[in-house]
Amino acid sequence: MKESLLYLDEVSVTRGGAQILDKVTIQVKPKEMTGVLGRNGAGKSSLAYTVMGLQGYRPESGRIYFKGKDITDWSITERAKSGLTLAWQHPARYEGIAVREYLRISSGGKADEETMKEALDFVQLDTSYLDRMLDKNLSGGERKRIELSSVYMMKPDLAILDEPDSGVDLLALGDITRLFRKIVDDGSSVMIITHREDVAARCDRSYLMCHGRIVLEGSAEAVKRYFLSQCRPCPDPDAEEFAAEEKINASI
Amino acid sequence: MQVSEEYKTLVEIAEKTSGVFGTLGEADAVYVVVHANRILDKNILPGVDIQAEETESGINATINVLEGVVLEKPVHLCFGHLGDSGSQVINSNIFIGKGARAEFLAHCIFPNAVEFLHAMEGTIHIGENASFSYKEVHVHGPEGKIEVRPVSKVTLEDGASYFGDFTLVEGRVGNLDIDIDVEARGESSRVEVTSKIYGKYDDFCQVRDVVRLTGKNSSALVKARVVLKDSSSGRFLGLVDGAASGARGHIDCTEIVQGRAKAEASPVVTVSHPEAEVTHEAAIGRLADDKIEGLMAKGLGEDEAVDVIVSGLLS
Ligand SMILES: Nc1ncnc2c1ncn2[C@@H]1O[C@H](COP(=O)(O)OP(=O)(O)OP(=O)(O)O)[C@@H](O)[C@H]1O
Ligand SMILES: [Mg+2]
Repeated sequence: MKESLLYLDEVSVTRGGAQILDKVTIQVKPKEMTGVLGRNGAGKSSLAYTVMGLQGYRPESGRIYFKGKDITDWSITERAKSGLTLAWQHPARYEGIAVREYLRISSGGKADEETMKEALDFVQLDTSYLDRMLDKNLSGGERKRIELSSVYMMKPDLAILDEPDSGVDLLALGDITRLFRKIVDDGSSVMIITHREDVAARCDRSYLMCHGRIVLEGSAEAVKRYFLSQCRPCPDPDAEEFAAEEKINASI
Repeated sequence: MQVSEEYKTLVEIAEKTSGVFGTLGEADAVYVVVHANRILDKNILPGVDIQAEETESGINATINVLEGVVLEKPVHLCFGHLGDSGSQVINSNIFIGKGARAEFLAHCIFPNAVEFLHAMEGTIHIGENASFSYKEVHVHGPEGKIEVRPVSKVTLEDGASYFGDFTLVEGRVGNLDIDIDVEARGESSRVEVTSKIYGKYDDFCQVRDVVRLTGKNSSALVKARVVLKDSSSGRFLGLVDGAASGARGHIDCTEIVQGRAKAEASPVVTVSHPEAEVTHEAAIGRLADDKIEGLMAKGLGEDEAVDVIVSGLLS
C-alpha cells in the first residue's frame, strides 16, 4: 500500500449503537479520481467524516494512513494542513462571512483577487459572488459551488467531494467530470462520493458501498455494471455473499 | 491629562474601532465630542440644532434635525471618559423633522474604566416620512466592571423609519442593561433594532427590546446576536406586539454560549389585532460542530475557527 495516497485498513466506526462502517478497506492513489458509489444510507458520508477526522467518527478499530503516515489520531486541522480536505454534502452556512473571506481562509490566507476570480470561474460563478455572505441567503446549489471553488483554492493533495453534483444544476455530466479532472490535472487526487453510477463510471476506479461495507472494488465500469444489475432494487440480505464472488471477478 | 490629549485619545479610539468610519474633525459634518461632563469640541451645520448643557455628571442635550434636512454625512457623537472610576450620565432628546434623513454614529469610549457608570437616557421622535439611523458602538477596556445603562424611547410617525444598532464587542461588557422601547404608531412606519454583544469573564448583559406596532401596516425586525464565553451570562428579552391591521413583526435571536457561560432568551410575540402577524426564531446554544469542523477542514485550528465564526456573527 506504499503507493497509496490514502489507505484505510479495516476501519470500523460505531455511532449511536449502530455499526456504520464495517471493516472498510479502501485506497486512493496519487493523481487518481476514485469513486465511492452507494445508495442512501450506505455510509458514504460517514466514510468521508471518518477520513477527515470529525468528532464522533473515531474508528474503534482499523487505521487510516495518508501519505504513508498513520493519521488515525490526528485532529481535523492537522489532516487539513497535511493536504487533506472535504467538501461537505451539505456545507455549513456562516453569517457575516463573505465568500471572499472564505476563499482567503481556504487558500491559507495567501489568495489574491485573480486566483479567487479563477476559483469562481471554475464553478461558473461570476465575481459578484465574492461579496455575497455565506449565510442562508445563498441557494443550496450556490453554496455547493462555493465549496468546490474553495477546494480549488486549497489545492489539496486529496479532496473528498461528498455528492458534489447534488443540488448543482446546469452542470451536465460532462461538465462535472471535466471539473473534477481539472482538480486532478492541477495535482490533486479526488475521492468522489456519489449515488450516481454515471458519475462513478467516469472515475479511474470505484468502490461500491452498502450497509457500511465495501461490497465491491474495481474498475469504474465494472462497479457501474454491478450497481445497475444488482443494486436496484438492492438484493439485500444476500448482497454481501453475492458481492464476495463478484469481487474476485471485478477486482483489478 | 490635558483636554487636547483627552480629545486626541478619544478620537483615535473612535476612528480605529470596528471599521466604523466617523466624521470627527470634518468641516462638512456634524459632530460633538464629550469627555466626562465637558464638551471638548463640536461642529454644527445649518439644518441641525444642538442645545447642550454640562451637568454635574454629564450632559443634557437636545438635538433637532429640521424638517426636510438630508444629512449626507453621519452625525458623530463621541462620549467618553478616560478615567478608571466615576460616572457619566447623558440625557438626550432627539427630534427628526418631517421628511428629514439622518444617520447618527455614537461612540461610547471607556478604555480604562474599572468602576464606572455610564447611563444614557434618551427619547427619539421621528417625524412623518423621516428616516433615522442610530448606531452606538461601545469600546470598553480589557478589565473592570463598567455599568452601562442605555434607555431609549422611540416614537415613529407615518412613513417614518428607525434603524437602531447597538454594538459592544470590544473589551469587557461589564454589566450591561439595554432597554429600548419603540412605538411604531405611524402608518407604514418601519423599525429595525439590532444588538451585537460579546460577553467575557463574568460579564452580565441584558437586552430588552420592545416594539409596539400600533400603526397600520407598520413593521419591525428585532435582531440580537449575543456571544457569551468564560462564565459570562446574558439574557435577551424581545417583545413585538402586532396591534394594528397589516402590522408585521419578526424577532431573530441567536445566542452562542461557550465555556461555562449561560444564556437565556425570551422572544415574546403578541398579536392584538386579527390582521397582524408576528413571527420569531431563536437559536441558543453551542456553535454547531459542522460550522467549526467546516473551517478546520480548511486548515484553521479549533480556536481560530471559533473566532472567525464569532466575528462574522457580530460583524
Ligand atoms: N448517530 C447515529 N446513530 C445511528 N445511526 C447513524 C448515526 N449517524 C448516522 N447513522 C446511520 O448511518 C448510516 C450511514 O449514513 P451516511 O450519512 O453515512 O449515509 P450516506 O451513504 O452518506 O447516505 P446519503 O446518500 O443519504 O447521503 C445511515 O443509515 C444513518 O442513519
Ligand atoms: Mg451522504
